[in-house]
Amino acid sequence: MVALLLNGLHTTFSLAIFPFLVLGVAGGIVIGALPGLTATMGVAVLLPLTFGMESTRALVVLAGIYIGAIYGGSISAILLKTPGTPAAAATVLDGYELARKGEAAKALSISAIASFVGGIVSTVMLITISPILANFALRFGAPEYFALAVFGLSIIASISGKSPVKGLLAGMFGLLISTVGLDPVTSFPRFTFGEINLYNGLAIIPVLIGLFALAEAFVQMEKIFEPARTVETDFKRGMVSLKETISLLPVMIKSAFIGTFIGSIPGAGADIAAFVCYNEARRTSKKSKEFGTGCLEGIAAPEAGNNGVTGGAMVPLLTLGVPGDAVTAILLGALVIQGLQPGPLLFAKSPDIVYGLFSSLFVGNILMLVFGLLGVRLFCRVVELPKRIIIPVIVTLSMVGAYSMNNSLFDVWVCIAFGGIGYIMQKVEMPSSPIILAVILGPMAESNLRRAVLMYEGGYSFLWTRPITVVFLALALLSLYSSYKRAHAA
Amino acid sequence: MKKLALFATLLLLVFAGTALAADFPAKNIRLLVPFAAGGGTDAVARALAVAAEKHLGQPVVVMNRTGGSGAVGMTEGATTKADGYTVTMITREIAWLPQMGLAQITPDNFDMIALVNEDPAIMLVLPDSKFTSVKDVIETAKAAPGTVKFGSTAKPNFYLLALELNQGVKFNQIPYNGAAEAIPALLGGHVEFTMVNPGEAISQIMAGQLKPLGVCSDVRMAGLPDVPTMTEQGYPIVTGTWRGIAVPKGTPEAVKAVLGAAFEKAVAEKEFVDFMNGRTLGIRFLNAADFKTFVDNDVKALDAVVEEVKKQQQ
Repeated sequence: MVALLLNGLHTTFSLAIFPFLVLGVAGGIVIGALPGLTATMGVAVLLPLTFGMESTRALVVLAGIYIGAIYGGSISAILLKTPGTPAAAATVLDGYELARKGEAAKALSISAIASFVGGIVSTVMLITISPILANFALRFGAPEYFALAVFGLSIIASISGKSPVKGLLAGMFGLLISTVGLDPVTSFPRFTFGEINLYNGLAIIPVLIGLFALAEAFVQMEKIFEPARTVETDFKRGMVSLKETISLLPVMIKSAFIGTFIGSIPGAGADIAAFVCYNEARRTSKKSKEFGTGCLEGIAAPEAGNNGVTGGAMVPLLTLGVPGDAVTAILLGALVIQGLQPGPLLFAKSPDIVYGLFSSLFVGNILMLVFGLLGVRLFCRVVELPKRIIIPVIVTLSMVGAYSMNNSLFDVWVCIAFGGIGYIMQKVEMPSSPIILAVILGPMAESNLRRAVLMYEGGYSFLWTRPITVVFLALALLSLYSSYKRAHAA
Repeated sequence: MKKLALFATLLLLVFAGTALAADFPAKNIRLLVPFAAGGGTDAVARALAVAAEKHLGQPVVVMNRTGGSGAVGMTEGATTKADGYTVTMITREIAWLPQMGLAQITPDNFDMIALVNEDPAIMLVLPDSKFTSVKDVIETAKAAPGTVKFGSTAKPNFYLLALELNQGVKFNQIPYNGAAEAIPALLGGHVEFTMVNPGEAISQIMAGQLKPLGVCSDVRMAGLPDVPTMTEQGYPIVTGTWRGIAVPKGTPEAVKAVLGAAFEKAVAEKEFVDFMNGRTLGIRFLNAADFKTFVDNDVKALDAVVEEVKKQQQ
C-alpha cells in the first residue's frame, strides 16, 4: 500500500495533475465562500468540463473543489453571518460572534486549521479502514437513520442561543415546512396547492440563502449609509496562537472522527455532521456556557466535522459503489462517465486512479490550509468594505444562487419569502439555525420512521431491539437533558 | 386575383418552410433533462448531446431542470417555444404522472422525435439469500402475502406492480429515494430483494455483492448472458424504463425532420454506443412515428396499473 501511495504522490505532483488540484482547491474555496454557491453545485456545474479530461485529473479537480468548498463556506459564515454552504450553518453560531468582537482573523485561522485536521484525519481513515467503515455504515437501516435524525433534532435546544423556547418554535416551523411535498410513502401531494414546483418539497438551498444571507442583508440595509460594518472594537490582526491550536486539538480530532463516520453513512452529509459535532463539543466542554458567544471550540468542532465528511463520503463510493452524500453522488456520475466502475472492483482494476485520488486528497487538504491561512488578511478586508457595496453584492449572489441550483425562478421566490421570514425572526431575536436543521432532518426522520414501521409490519419494537438505534435514541435523551440542565443553571 | 394571392401565399409558405429547415439549427440547442446532474438520465443525455452535435452542426447544451419525479422539467419542455431549439429528454414517468394527477401535461403535449434507450428491470438479491430463483421469491410471497421485504426505488413502483399484478402476489414494499438508497438497503440486508435497471447495479453485480435472479426482458441481455429472463423461468413479466427525445407540440415538420435525422445518426455514433455498453444501458432507436405508437401503448398498459395504485392510496 505504501508503494501504491508513493506512486500516487508521484501522480499528484506531476505536471498533468498538480496545477489542476491547485485550481480545484482554490476554485472550491471561492465557490464555497460565495453565498449561494455550494459544494454540490460547484461540482455539478464543473462536471461537464471534466468530461474531456483524463480520468485521474477529472477526479482530482472535482475532489479538490469538494474539499475547498466545504471549508470555504465558513469564510462567509464568519465574516458576513451568511454560511456559504449548508455545511457552514453551524459555524455562524460562534464564528460570526467572534468576528463581531473584532477577532475575524482568529476565527478564520481556526476554521482553516480545523478543516485541515478534519480533512487529513478522514483521508487517513479512508485509506486505512474504509472496508470496516463501509460494513458498519451498511448496518444502518431505516430504524438507525430515524434514530440518527432524532438525535440530530435533539440538538436544536443547544443551537438556539439565549432562548431555547424560541429555538424550539423555530424548529417546529422547520419541521412543518419539511412536510411540504409528496408523501414519502404514498406519493400523495401534501400542502402543494397543485403547484408542481412544490412536489419535491422546499429546496434547502433557497431556504438557507433566504434565512441567512438575504435576511442579514435586509437587516444591514437599515444602516446602509453608515461608513462600515458595526465595528464594536478595533480589528485585531492576530491569528490563533500555537497554544490555542494545541488546546483545540482534542476537539478537532474527535469532531474529525464523528465527521468521517457520519460521512460514511450514505445519505448523511456535511451539514448534519457540523451540527452534531457542535453539539457534542458543547455537551462535553467545560466552557459550554460560552458557546454561542464566540467560543473557539464552537468554530473548531463544526469545521473539523464538516471536512471530516469529505473523506468519509468517499468510503461508500469507493467500497460499495454508492454515494455517501450529494457531492459524491455527482462524483459517482463522473467516474461512470469516465468509463470507470465505482465500487470494490475499482481498487482491483484501476489502483493507480484510486491511490492518485488518495494522495491528492492529502495534498489538497494541505493546499487548503495554506490558501486559508494566506488568505486570512485578504478575507478580512471584506468586513471593511462599505455596506452600500457589500449588500448589493450579497443580494445579487443570493438570487443567482437560489436560481441556479435547479434553474428555477420559483426557487428565487422561495428565497425572497424566506428572506422576509428571516428578517422578522431576527427582529424578534428568534434563531434561524433550528429551521435549517429541521428542514434537513425532518424528511430523514419521517421517511425512515415510516420505512421502519413497514419493515416491522406495523410494530415499533425496532425502537428498543436494535443496538445502534437504542444508542442514538439514548444520545438524543442525553442531549436534551444537558440542554435542559444548561438552561436551568443559567 | 384571389387565386393568385392564395398561390403566392402558399408559395411563400413553402419557401419559408424550406428556408427554416435549411437554416435550422442556426444557434445552440438546449437539451432539457428533467433529472439531476450525475444521474442515469443525465448521463444518457450528456453522451447523446455530444454525439448529436456532430450531426446538428451546433452545440447541444444540457440543462437540468429537476423536481416532481421529472414533472417540472417535462412540463417546461412541453410548454416552451415550439421552434426546435429546446428539446427534452422524456422518460417513462410521462406515461403515468398525468394519470396519477401529478403532472398537468401528457404525452400529447409533445411531438415525439426519437426513442434512444430502453432498459429492462432486473431482480436482485444478496449472494447468500435464501432465495435462489424467481420462483423462490414468488412462492414465499404466495405463502405469506405482504411479508417479503422489497426495497423500492420509488413509489409507485411499476416494476413491482407488474410482478404483483401478473402473479397475484403481495410484497411488503419499503420505498426509498432511487437506486442509490435502495441498493445500500439491500446490501445491508434491510430488505430481501429489489428491482432496478441493470446499469444502476452493474458494479455490485460484477463484484459479486449482489446476485441477479431474473431480467424482465424478452431475451437475455448481451452484457449479462448468464442471467435468465423471467419468462424463461415461467413468469412472463416484461417491464423496464425508457428515455427518448421530444419537442413541444406544433414544432414545424421540417425542423422535426432535421432533429429526427440527427438523433438517429447520433444513436449510431461509436462513442455513444461505447458509452451505453460500458454502463450496461440499452440502446433502442425508434423514429418519430414508431416512438409515438410506443408511448401510446405504454400509457394504455400503465392505465390498469395506475388504477391499482389509486385503489391502494385510498
